[in-house]
Amino acid sequence: MLPCPENSECVYLLRVITNFAGPSPGIGLMLEDCTSLISVSAHLTLKKNAILFSFSELERLSNLVGKPSENHPLHNSGLLSLDPVQDKTPLYSQLLQAYKWSNKLQYHAGLASGLLNQQSLKRSANQMGVSAKRRPKAQPTTLVLPPQYVDDVINRIDRMFPEMSIQLSRPNGTSAMLLVTLGKVLKVIVVMRSLFIDRTIVKGYNENVYTEDGKVGYCISSNIKFYFYLVTDHATTALLHYQLPQMPDVVVRSFMTWLRSYIKLFQAPCQRCGKFLQDGLPPTWRDFRTLEAFHDTCRQ
Amino acid sequence: MGVAQVPVAEGKSLQQTVEILTRKLELLGAEKQGTFCVDCETYHTAASTISSQGQTGKLMYVMHNSEYPLSCFALFENGPCLIADANFDILMVKLKGFFQNAKANKIESRGTRYQYCDFLVKVGTVTMGPSARGISVEVEYCPCVIANDCWNLLMEFMQSFMGNHTPGIPSVFGTKHDSIYSPADTMVQYMELFNKIRKQQQVPVAGIR
Repeated sequence: MLPCPENSECVYLLRVITNFAGPSPGIGLMLEDCTSLISVSAHLTLKKNAILFSFSELERLSNLVGKPSENHPLHNSGLLSLDPVQDKTPLYSQLLQAYKWSNKLQYHAGLASGLLNQQSLKRSANQMGVSAKRRPKAQPTTLVLPPQYVDDVINRIDRMFPEMSIQLSRPNGTSAMLLVTLGKVLKVIVVMRSLFIDRTIVKGYNENVYTEDGKVGYCISSNIKFYFYLVTDHATTALLHYQLPQMPDVVVRSFMTWLRSYIKLFQAPCQRCGKFLQDGLPPTWRDFRTLEAFHDTCRQ
Repeated sequence: MGVAQVPVAEGKSLQQTVEILTRKLELLGAEKQGTFCVDCETYHTAASTISSQGQTGKLMYVMHNSEYPLSCFALFENGPCLIADANFDILMVKLKGFFQNAKANKIESRGTRYQYCDFLVKVGTVTMGPSARGISVEVEYCPCVIANDCWNLLMEFMQSFMGNHTPGIPSVFGTKHDSIYSPADTMVQYMELFNKIRKQQQVPVAGIR
């Protein structure tokens, strides 16, 4: 039996109960036990009254608190501000920050969508009328265009640029992979998702672009580190620049037009400084609008 | 891509001129990447075959390049270039009856290989027998396969460390037009350079491929 120094009555009560359960004791002992039992029950009544009092006190206080105001801007989560243990769980301040950022994000997204809708590609502006007919059809399904349609668009672009050959393959499922060979200058692997350009990798003309099983491999990086690494970088920038979700075929065409400007990769000096080399690197940047050659550091 | 000869600087020895060149390269930021060696052996057409066919003796050059360690290059002057496996040398021993090795004419260029961004630069001392005869500088631009396309770019690069000794466009480029540059073109340029140096009696000069 566990000792209970504060409530010796409880200890006693328990002892009585065990005595009852045990072998029948003498009657004198029983009477003694009964008196103790009565004193214990009096004690319990006292405790019960104290609890009742505390409870009614609580009820009274809770009525004083009153109904939380419903028009708090954060509704129920605003009540977190009443939490006195701020230091341990700064939930409320974090919540406010989150709301602030989400508002900012919404605001900026609104501004960006306004700007993006205004700025259609200048070069493709004259084709707007042509593609307008196709647009209502294409718009809801730009992410799931039939492979035949993608093939057609790529074939048309292939015929547009005689110095550029585009080889389409589908090594992994329905997504097309283009191997663009530009003159005898470079090879570009373009990974497409439907008609969206997903990724580009630029490699040297004499580099191997096929994996062991004869497919076009997109994981192979260029051995010629400096030059093609930079061009890959610029090509990625270009595909982010040429974005027009409603007309993916225009984007692909614009990107290819830009890519074609690399045909003079080794022959064009920088339009700003007039030199071929800067820190051992030729002009790798091509302006998106004028397609002129610049060094990476001369382009601003 | 381009092999050229650099003349020895005035008042300097050949070794000092090489050091000046390599120091300039290192100042540019080029990194040393070991050594290189290009050698060339001359073979005469054997006297017996000349008389029977009524031809004048033609020289054949058998060359090796440490950049292509598994290959052996056999060239005629102005003629075709054969690229064979390295054990072509053994075959030449078997062909002793037709081609005779002119051992005294063995010439080679040895030196350091540098890499600067996508450029490969090889600065070598050309030696014939025991004597150093000149300095050779080879410059290659790895991303480009059409030599004519990047010649201006190469020129600009060479000017940065060779100054006014930058060579003119090699004759091989003239006939290449838009075809792809191959290792054989490099070897032809080395052969021409070696021939030029052989003719310069003991006057040290440098050549550019």
